[in-house]
Amino acid sequence: MTKLDSLLAGLARERSTGALRVGRSGTIFLSDGRVTYMECAHTPSFERLLTARGRMSEAALRGAQSDGGRDRLLREGSITQGELQYAVLGVVLDAAFFLLPMSGTRPKFRPGEEHWLGGQWFFDVAGLVRECARRRAQLAGIWPSADVDTSPVRPATALAGQAVTLDRVQWEVLVQADRRATPLELAKQIGRSGYSVLLAVRRLAAAGLLCPPDPPDGPPGQDPDPLSAGDERTLPRRARGELPRPPHHPEAPRLPAGPPVTGDPTDIALLLRLKKALEELS
Amino acid sequence: MLGIDTCLAEVMAIPGALDAMLVDHTSGMAVAFSQASGVDADRSAAALTEALRATSDGLARTCPGDVVRIDDMMVTTDKGHHLLRLMETVFEGPLVIYVRLDLERANLALARHRLQSIAGRLTT
Repeated sequence: MTKLDSLLAGLARERSTGALRVGRSGTIFLSDGRVTYMECAHTPSFERLLTARGRMSEAALRGAQSDGGRDRLLREGSITQGELQYAVLGVVLDAAFFLLPMSGTRPKFRPGEEHWLGGQWFFDVAGLVRECARRRAQLAGIWPSADVDTSPVRPATALAGQAVTLDRVQWEVLVQADRRATPLELAKQIGRSGYSVLLAVRRLAAAGLLCPPDPPDGPPGQDPDPLSAGDERTLPRRARGELPRPPHHPEAPRLPAGPPVTGDPTDIALLLRLKKALEELS
Repeated sequence: MLGIDTCLAEVMAIPGALDAMLVDHTSGMAVAFSQASGVDADRSAAALTEALRATSDGLARTCPGDVVRIDDMMVTTDKGHHLLRLMETVFEGPLVIYVRLDLERANLALARHRLQSIAGRLTT
């Protein structure tokens, strides 16, 4: 459990009502110990989705926000009760997916504060954490490398085969990709949840429709290797993938900065048990 | 106007309905479900999503030049009928209503008609 998870679990136990502000990353609204709304700076908000998909003008939304809130939104008929609940559900789970693993800033709790939409849907904290874990596993099942989540989306210029089928979000991602925007930036542009765009990007990567990330142009956070960066232009380059290098070799592909996404914890336990068994044998 | 929970109650009121579920097609998550014994809602939601995905992929191959838009899907097994209705919403989706119907007691045409009307009231 991360720090934010346990803090939330504590607030849930005390049945608190109020807003938990996580630095500039986002805010979690609680009512009687259950999460009613969550917003994250990296994912499109409910307001953004409504306006990006052309359901409402920003002025009309601001009007509803300052006066009348949810009831006015429903009365004016731009969205139905069912759609509102479904949209809030999607936004909260999307925000939770990106907000809950964050750490570093000290969250501040302000009792009594409420979101303008009020309570639409009540999430218990354990359920949110469980759903986020399920989503992470789903992503890893499609394409194991998390590199594509943060680097610019660069569609391949040629198809490796004759035909391919795309779903809706994949299509929107490909149309919008300008080879500079990252998946989360694209999500805000097209008005889709961050998670659905990550799913689309990983499916594209699995189908071989994205350019492999170049080492010099790689995602931020992986600083260029000082040994290989200097003489890369002068030396003849070995074809990539010809000879796998051991991870300690200076020219070997760098390992991801974060913990491995698909690392199976049972492997280590199994190795330890094997080692013990072999020691007992000898 | 219907909310998500009231919608599920209406689906269960269809003659012959055994259990029902609302599924978020994007993530394969069970949004709401009726209490059925022995059904793992999360698992069946994920499996139904995969079935839908495979169906639309297959249809995309069989009707080249068309954009596939599934309105509903019906499967009849030796034990009963399975009905899925896809609803477009303001947010992503589609949101899927799934209902399992008794083979003997259910009227498939009626059930399909009722699902259509419920979907209409939920999203417009």
